[in-house]
Amino acid sequence: MDSPRTIRFDIFRFDPQDPQDSPKMVTYEVTEAPGMTVFIALNMLREQQDPSLQFDFVCRAGICGSCAMVINGKPTLACRTLTANYPEGKITLMPLPGFELIGDLSVNTGKFMRELAERLQLWLQPNADVVNIHGLETPMDPEEAAKLYELERCVECGVCVSACATKQMRDTFVGAVGMMKIARFEMDSRDARSADDFYHVIGNQDGVFGCMTLLGCQDTCPKDLPHMQQIAYLRRKMAQTIPDSNRII
Amino acid sequence: MATNFLPNNSTNKGHFIKDFSHPIWAARADKLQSLSGIMLGVFIVMHLHFESSILLGKEAFYHVVQFLEGGVFSESGHGYPLLTQIFSAFMLLVVIVHAVFALRRFPTQLGQWQALRKQMQFLPHEDTKIWFWQMVTGFGLFFMVPVHLFTMMLDPAIGPHLSAERVYYDNAWLLYVLLLPAVVVHAIFGLYRVCVKWGLVSQRFALLKLAKIIVAYLLVIGVASLIAYIVIGRSLELPIIPYVPMN
Ligand code: SF4
Ligand code: FES
Repeated sequence: MDSPRTIRFDIFRFDPQDPQDSPKMVTYEVTEAPGMTVFIALNMLREQQDPSLQFDFVCRAGICGSCAMVINGKPTLACRTLTANYPEGKITLMPLPGFELIGDLSVNTGKFMRELAERLQLWLQPNADVVNIHGLETPMDPEEAAKLYELERCVECGVCVSACATKQMRDTFVGAVGMMKIARFEMDSRDARSADDFYHVIGNQDGVFGCMTLLGCQDTCPKDLPHMQQIAYLRRKMAQTIPDSNRII
Repeated sequence: MATNFLPNNSTNKGHFIKDFSHPIWAARADKLQSLSGIMLGVFIVMHLHFESSILLGKEAFYHVVQFLEGGVFSESGHGYPLLTQIFSAFMLLVVIVHAVFALRRFPTQLGQWQALRKQMQFLPHEDTKIWFWQMVTGFGLFFMVPVHLFTMMLDPAIGPHLSAERVYYDNAWLLYVLLLPAVVVHAIFGLYRVCVKWGLVSQRFALLKLAKIIVAYLLVIGVASLIAYIVIGRSLELPIIPYVPMN
């Protein structure tokens, strides 16, 4: 059997809390093991070589969305990326751009997602008079349920936001994840919001009409969500809506 | 604005729609940009084919021009160059509409431009790169297209010899050499983006491949016909006598 490879990691290091520190790339070497992911390698590095290395993870299975980072120029989940995918044995790791840097590879996607959810009201807003928690829930059409489940797969990793050049140019742009979630509630028959309501949060230059269809989102989403289709759907829907001009949100 | 004098109640809703700050303009701007883009894109594909008919010979081009200038309706059978002038003016109008709404997309601040360049280096991504070139060519076209359209409005002389004269003796080839690649790239990738943007197709990568093939094809026929006009121009002596078919 071949002896295991040595993988070279070039990792971005910077602690914004430390006024003495400045951004730099640091090189580490790790001996590859079968089935090794970038996430496993990072843990080995932290345990064996540098306990100060900062990065996030929770689930190790592509579900929590916390381990997103830029791996050799592609934003993706570290726990789902095999080191074997890089035949050269060289891996460069950078934090996701467009988010507040906590330190090294750790960024504050949580803060971003929370602000986005509050700004766009990304939760189900049921019709007040049909909710009866004592009664049986109205069954949902299986087709509709399947569509909603598809969109529910988003793990809020922030990859689509960092891969979007429009978002990088315009900070106030909502990004793909916001539009995907709006599309999800727009399709949900239990949500009481009208097309006009959605138009007022997303029918503008910071929303669906500011999107330039560069599709960095679709091409990088680790969950393979259908951004292109959903954003186009939302755009068509909003383009047919005649918004009420006298509303103040 | 007149609406400023009206009380802000729901009865003046219709009135507000004319106001560019009305939220409906976000949707309208996007629709108008796409619609004017489709018109210009489809037109350019036809335009390049019409003018490339010179590759089939002078007579073929003569008949195409005669037909487009409404030759069947004129007594002499030569048609009305006035049609070219009117059409050019109309196209200029469409270009203006397209440019006005597309301008929203330009990175107007230095910071935005830097962010875009940084992003492109940091995360190389094909569609972003294509859009970047569309923006750059769009900027160039903003200056070149009006020059071309004004030329056609002031002197609508089109024909195997007349066009060759413009290309060769009036040095229009200098403009066309720049205009051709810019317009082809901008138009074809623009049509691709419109399809993807409004969800008209689901096979995106197949469409992108097709777009690339069409770009290459249009460039080939465009360059070949430009060479043909130069060759014809060189063979002619001044003053140019308009071409008339033998029979
Ligand atoms: S849409 Fe995809 S890339 Fe974007 S946050 Fe959700 S899972 Fe991540
Ligand atoms: S650790 Fe949860 S997605 Fe990677």
